Amino acid sequence: MPHDHDHDHTEPPSDLTLRVKALETALTRKGYVDPEAIDAVVDIFENQVGPRNGAKVVAKAWSDPAFKERLLEDASAACAELGFAGLQGEQLKAVENTKDVHNMVVCTLCSCYPWPVLGLPPSWYKSHAYRSRSVIEPRAVLQEFGIEVPDGKEVRVWDSTAELRYLVLPERPEGTEGLSEDELADLVTRDSMIGTGVAQAS
Amino acid sequence: MTNAIHDMGGMHGFGAMPRQDNEPVFNADWERTVFGLMMAGMGTLQVNLDFVRSQMEATPPAEYVKLSYYQLWLHTLEKMAVDKGAVSAEDLAALAQGRDVALDKTADPIPPDALAGVMAAGADAARPLEAPARFKVGDRVRAKTDSPATHTRLPRYVRGHAGEIIRDAGGQIYPDTNAVTGDEGPERLYSVRFTARELWGDEANAKDTVIVDLWEPYLEAAE
Repeated sequence: MPHDHDHDHTEPPSDLTLRVKALETALTRKGYVDPEAIDAVVDIFENQVGPRNGAKVVAKAWSDPAFKERLLEDASAACAELGFAGLQGEQLKAVENTKDVHNMVVCTLCSCYPWPVLGLPPSWYKSHAYRSRSVIEPRAVLQEFGIEVPDGKEVRVWDSTAELRYLVLPERPEGTEGLSEDELADLVTRDSMIGTGVAQAS
Repeated sequence: MTNAIHDMGGMHGFGAMPRQDNEPVFNADWERTVFGLMMAGMGTLQVNLDFVRSQMEATPPAEYVKLSYYQLWLHTLEKMAVDKGAVSAEDLAALAQGRDVALDKTADPIPPDALAGVMAAGADAARPLEAPARFKVGDRVRAKTDSPATHTRLPRYVRGHAGEIIRDAGGQIYPDTNAVTGDEGPERLYSVRFTARELWGDEANAKDTVIVDLWEPYLEAAE
């Protein structure tokens, strides 16, 4: 079967669209999939689950020391308190950025990602560049994201080779003492929870 | 497959980070469909996650590197649908060319509510384990240099290197057997910390570390 070799995702050639349609038609008529079930799972990740979930978790951890303790102890249980659980989040671990450690998360072998708190991964996370480079030259990768980590600070890379999923707990920006959890959540970017960004100061 | 192209950690040459601002969840309609087909079809095709990964990795390297993420999923779904007898390659090709073919219903799909339930409930890979732990937190271990021709989650870049156990994550489905026979194992999983210098040499930053989750059979005691 022919394969498209174009990495431009926005304009797939017609043969690719036709192949997908053919597979969907075949599996539907043979009884292997229900098209409405496809719509249902797509709806979950387009409209219900995404990095806003993780941002709420981080904001609560910044605001509530007891919750932060529970999050670092058992992130799946703590996230479930906020209603965030499910596939690819069964065994979550939160890893905390500090003045001494900057954490970042990758899956070199495929593209494992903590779906219930971050949704589906962005293209760059799934790219061959990120999968190959993040373990051997994490600082160079971080520089391309605009993050400069001082030499004396540890960069700690977590390679998600098993079914444990990692969520970075970014450092709380300075000058945010008076903010509510909702306001704090607005400062928490997706990339800051992967470790290729930092929480925004404003 | 083990020594295959998917095992990319530490490779050079893939270029700069392809960042994209305000990227949508899916970049095209066909990506939506492919994602949904995988989620909805794994159960009825009777394929587990480790098997699916093993099939993705079996894509010839020269082809793998040219496929986008969801193209790889499509390629793998087509292969599994044919291999599992859900549809013939001839019928798939005919449909893609716009010709109709007779397709009788032979399976029962997972209804939308049930599938949404699976997504919400998850599928935990943790398993009870009778066998005592061979290693404990703080132990020095070395990743074995085995190169099985079948599926494994031991990346090449840590093989032969020594690190320290920082977490015992208990019994977990063992992908090496689950992918091949559906035998879940299980085996004990550890998080192992390697220094960047151990993995990449003296040019690496002295502070930096890489933590990799490795099953007990991948490891041996290090002096």
